[in-house]
Amino acid sequence: MRFATGVANLLSSRFIEKNMEQEKELTGQESLELISRMISKAKRDYQDTGLSALLWGGVITICSLVSFANAYIKNPALEYIWYLPVAAVAGQVYISIRESKRRKLKGHDDNMMGGIWISFGIAIFMLSYFVNRYHLDQSAGLFLTLYGIPTFTTGYARHFRPMLFGGLACWVFAILSSFTPYPYILLYLTAAAQLAWFIPGLILRKRYLKANKKNV
Amino acid sequence: MFKDLNPILHSQLRLAIVSILISVQEAEFTYLREKTEATAGNLSVQINKLKEAGYIDVAKAFKDNYPQTVCKITSLGVKAFEEYVKDLQSYLNIKK
Repeated sequence: MRFATGVANLLSSRFIEKNMEQEKELTGQESLELISRMISKAKRDYQDTGLSALLWGGVITICSLVSFANAYIKNPALEYIWYLPVAAVAGQVYISIRESKRRKLKGHDDNMMGGIWISFGIAIFMLSYFVNRYHLDQSAGLFLTLYGIPTFTTGYARHFRPMLFGGLACWVFAILSSFTPYPYILLYLTAAAQLAWFIPGLILRKRYLKANKKNV
Repeated sequence: MFKDLNPILHSQLRLAIVSILISVQEAEFTYLREKTEATAGNLSVQINKLKEAGYIDVAKAFKDNYPQTVCKITSLGVKAFEEYVKDLQSYLNIKK
């Protein structure tokens, strides 16, 4: 009993000491340095993993390149390649769940960004429906216009230039696609997927891994 | 020397907590402990002081069957932090 009380007292005195240590008077300079250090720590940890951008950049690149090749190969089975993005939704759900489980902090714009990308996903599926329903030819320009919206918004809001320029590139390719014959417009989709998502995804991934290495 | 500075914020650990929370929408207790390098007990004490002052909100829940404490700065906390930084800047300017 005495031993237990002694240990408790010791722990308590250590706790108070530690507490006092944390309560020490700060100078103005120290306070500003502490604020700046903590803000930059939180900013550094608030990193996108880049996995979603890599997934969609990769999927759209594969689909458009296979479609382009199929314009010459003419294999009916390869026409189903555009179902790959539907399957990729499962991958996206898995990435989102995994990231939300691991995330220990939430950024100010997380909900807004999530809403923008979810509405983009819904809009893409709706556009696909209308394109098939009304048999719209040369629809790549419409898809490219849509690709540009969340990409540019993300780049603009997060001051991330690769995505900002990627979004702009989507709109430039959308205009160019109206002057380009099929199947060459598919190469615009490939380029857009690379510039808007895959390359920014690689940059984000590299930053994320670097920040995580620092935190270890 | 620092009579005019908010005493709730003018503490090493509490200022560190609020500086992190001002940068994000919300952060878990484990994250705050990791970044401030404080002990769990001390961090709890300081979080409670901030909560009592109305500067932060603390929500307790379960994540994957483990208890999870999430902290979030309140509008009062944001205002107090902004005033604190302003006071600090004016103090440093006067000193210059």
